[in-house]
Amino acid sequence: MRLILIDNSPEIRCKFSPLALGRPLWELRCGMTSLEEKFVAKINPNDVAYFVPDYMADFYRTRVKKPVNDVTVLAGDDLILVDPLVKVEDLKVPAQAASKIALDEQGRLLYARISKGDIERRPADTIEKFTASARESVPNVTCKLRKWNYIWDLVLANAELITADFAAAGQRGIEGTIEQPVAIRGSKKDIYVAPRARVHPMVTIDAENGPVYVDEGAEIQPFSRIEGPCYIGKEATLLGAKCREGNTIGPFCRIGGEVEASIIHGYSNKYHDGFIGHSYIGEWVNLGALTTNSDLKNDYSDVSVSLDGRQFIDTGSTKVGSLVGDHVKTSIGTLLNTGSYLGAMAIVMATGKPLPKFIPSFAWFVEGIVTKGFGKTRLYETAKMAMSRRGCEWSAAERAMWDAVFEATAPARNKAIKKGRRTLLA
Amino acid sequence: MATVEERVKAVTARVLRLSSDEINMDDSFTADLGAESVQSIELVAMFEEEFGIEMDEDAALAVETVGAAVEFITNVCKEQGISIE
Repeated sequence: MRLILIDNSPEIRCKFSPLALGRPLWELRCGMTSLEEKFVAKINPNDVAYFVPDYMADFYRTRVKKPVNDVTVLAGDDLILVDPLVKVEDLKVPAQAASKIALDEQGRLLYARISKGDIERRPADTIEKFTASARESVPNVTCKLRKWNYIWDLVLANAELITADFAAAGQRGIEGTIEQPVAIRGSKKDIYVAPRARVHPMVTIDAENGPVYVDEGAEIQPFSRIEGPCYIGKEATLLGAKCREGNTIGPFCRIGGEVEASIIHGYSNKYHDGFIGHSYIGEWVNLGALTTNSDLKNDYSDVSVSLDGRQFIDTGSTKVGSLVGDHVKTSIGTLLNTGSYLGAMAIVMATGKPLPKFIPSFAWFVEGIVTKGFGKTRLYETAKMAMSRRGCEWSAAERAMWDAVFEATAPARNKAIKKGRRTLLA
Repeated sequence: MATVEERVKAVTARVLRLSSDEINMDDSFTADLGAESVQSIELVAMFEEEFGIEMDEDAALAVETVGAAVEFITNVCKEQGISIE
């Protein structure tokens, strides 16, 4: 059976901004793994193929080295098509079953199981035509499966999913190196230190309230405290960090200071002191020393977030920190308000006060206003430099993808720039 | 209407907190007038507002002297159909 992941709805994608700007939705993380990894673990397909927005297809092909936006994958095998935002624990896929399409109450596809025989009667040249054709001839059922609705939902569920993923991984004990003295609280069966992971002396691992998973090659330096549930990704480094409960630290991250209940994608740095809580941080982010966000309002009311610089959405939660897009750089001492949005590639300089809650993608936030700054080329040069320092390539395909994001995010950015200019002229 | 040179000097004086009299065409924004990188961003923004033009950031930030800025802005105004004098 082949798993087909489809991400082609702009009105859904924008709810996962800014993290969805540079990746398909199934690449988002919650718990120890990405959404895709959860589907693969549940469904155990022979292979996986992807349908992504056109602007990121070339780049994503270089990333996964599998079929992307290739309709030929729709033939030759039984298929299961899935909305990547379906919560995997609600998905029940029998090994053998008749073709069926499951729709939500708005008629949107949740998943479809289509047998090889049914496909051969239904060739199509786009995924949209394929699913439309399948709906007409395969039995449709309406069902209720829980879905992720907004990017902050992943943050709020992170602790619970770390615990679930730890149980599913089935790994326990110490296979890496622990240099004494190290304090371990809670049960050792709730701790896993993978091969090549190193825990230095004077570290506390506290699994009393949830499991702790330290993945391969991670390094936990002295005076770090890790409270479970927590996942430390491959080759990540904690530098005397206070790693509170509910964190997913991605591969190759460098984390210091205090982090709580946050998801951080790979290759991001928060090297120095400062607090980040209930936040979702993308790849290649550098948070300057003493960058700190608020994740709780002074009056304990629900946090609202703007994903587009216009409307504010009530999250229904009192604890929401910052949403930080890929390649964002903050200066020393940056203060982020509760429910802040920093768009991808933004350069953010501190002002001594909490910053505006919405800073658009590719903005240079300087001297308290959004500006054009030194432009897009300089941002790409910085991205290329940051990636090369870690042995990663900034490719033409990646540049083309970000060019498309630059164009798509121009209206919000230009509006903010005009507002900034009015401030300067006043 | 004031000349392009007068307007460039006026904007420069305002952003860098100088007197227009202190600004010469040969002056480098950074070496002679003390503009820091953050102020360079503001200068570009204020030139755009003053003249009603859009400047390519890379090209604009490569301009080093007041005289070169006058020439650059004059050319951009002509390209974008903005009346200058």
